[in-house]
Amino acid sequence: MIAMLKNKFAIPAATAVLALAAAWPLTVNAANNTSVEVVEIAAEQSASAVIQALADQALADLTDQTLSDDVRRKKFVALMDRYFEMDVVSRFVLGRYWRSISQEEISEFATLLQNYLALNYANQFKELNGEQFVVGNETQNNKDTFVNSQFVRPDGPPVSIVWRMREFDNEFKIIDVSIEGLSMGITQRDEFTSVIQQNGDDVSALTKALKAKTGL
Amino acid sequence: MSDYDPIEPVNRVVHGVNGAVDFMVLYPAAMWYRDIAPQPVKTAVGSFVRNLNEPLNSLNAFLQGDPDQGAASLQRFIMNSTLGFLGFNDVAADFGIEYRREDFGQTLAHYGIGGGPYIVLPLLGPSNLRDTTGIAVDYVANPLTWGAENSDTINALYWGGLGATALHSRYSTINQLNELQKSSIDYYAALRSLYRQQRNTAIRNGTPSPISEVEDESASFDFDEAVEAASE
Repeated sequence: MIAMLKNKFAIPAATAVLALAAAWPLTVNAANNTSVEVVEIAAEQSASAVIQALADQALADLTDQTLSDDVRRKKFVALMDRYFEMDVVSRFVLGRYWRSISQEEISEFATLLQNYLALNYANQFKELNGEQFVVGNETQNNKDTFVNSQFVRPDGPPVSIVWRMREFDNEFKIIDVSIEGLSMGITQRDEFTSVIQQNGDDVSALTKALKAKTGL
Repeated sequence: MSDYDPIEPVNRVVHGVNGAVDFMVLYPAAMWYRDIAPQPVKTAVGSFVRNLNEPLNSLNAFLQGDPDQGAASLQRFIMNSTLGFLGFNDVAADFGIEYRREDFGQTLAHYGIGGGPYIVLPLLGPSNLRDTTGIAVDYVANPLTWGAENSDTINALYWGGLGATALHSRYSTINQLNELQKSSIDYYAALRSLYRQQRNTAIRNGTPSPISEVEDESASFDFDEAVEAASE
């Protein structure tokens, strides 16, 4: 019964979407300089499909035992480029301090941050052995989609990982990852802003420390 | 900036002293335990340590208005202390009654009391005003504490339990803390942030967070602002 109802509504709904899609270029042309946000079209891939794709690619790229640490880190950075909205993440982890640096410095900081994270996390893929990654359901909270997933280990309880995603140009990008309720973004923000604050609100103290860690 | 830490200079000193004491005493003991003790021994010690907490878990669950959880913890304590031989075997888990830690800090939070200023306690490490109060209340309310004053057996169990708790809990975080210490730029600030987040998760009993709530409590800058900033 419910399935039938769904089907009944599915056809008009699909038609509406098609009509909207067909009308879209017209609307934009007509409105031209007004906000494009009014017309929303669905992302090409669902948020959970993006996470599944990331997991597949990470397992394919990073678990190879023959890779040198350096190459593994480079691949990790490439994955972050593809799946994370680094500009947003960078500003978030800098807290209010992003205002005190230029756009170029933020881009430079994003590269440093990626290499810093690669240094800390890329090698963990080398040690994977018998673990499984299971993508679960999605939940919606305001503007963001949270993709729940589990890292199932052979020895010990599964680890819950939640991916915080937002749409940018019709594509879901990751803006935060929480492991067992611990947000990487918030932890990094709290640590980084503390470093900046301890050094007289000078962002370059943080970038200097990151450069020393990453060797960039 | 993000954490309320008005006595940060003092906290950093205590953090440093704790680190030194840890490095000399607890850390080597935990490494030794990690490398020498076989897995079944560690599992048994873990169950024993958790079992000693059950009276408090039960009491605090009742105080939080959750009689089901309170009864579950009490049931676990009775089953594991008898069938499970002083708690070394977690037989209750085999019956599907899962462990859940509840302390008085969480009970206070349940009634809307915020963490307050961050405090690094000597030997015990990261805490805040609310959770420190919780530790004091739990100490007084713990049946084992007053039992220890009247019986040598319970006294031995109490002190043995404290030692086992220290050793086992240090062991269970040893790899993560080693990683964190190696990777972080400001280990103190990273720990402070993780403590706050981990407590918030425990208070919510691990249910998926209204993440906004976690941020609101401390953030001066959130993802919406970051996105706006990026598109400027």
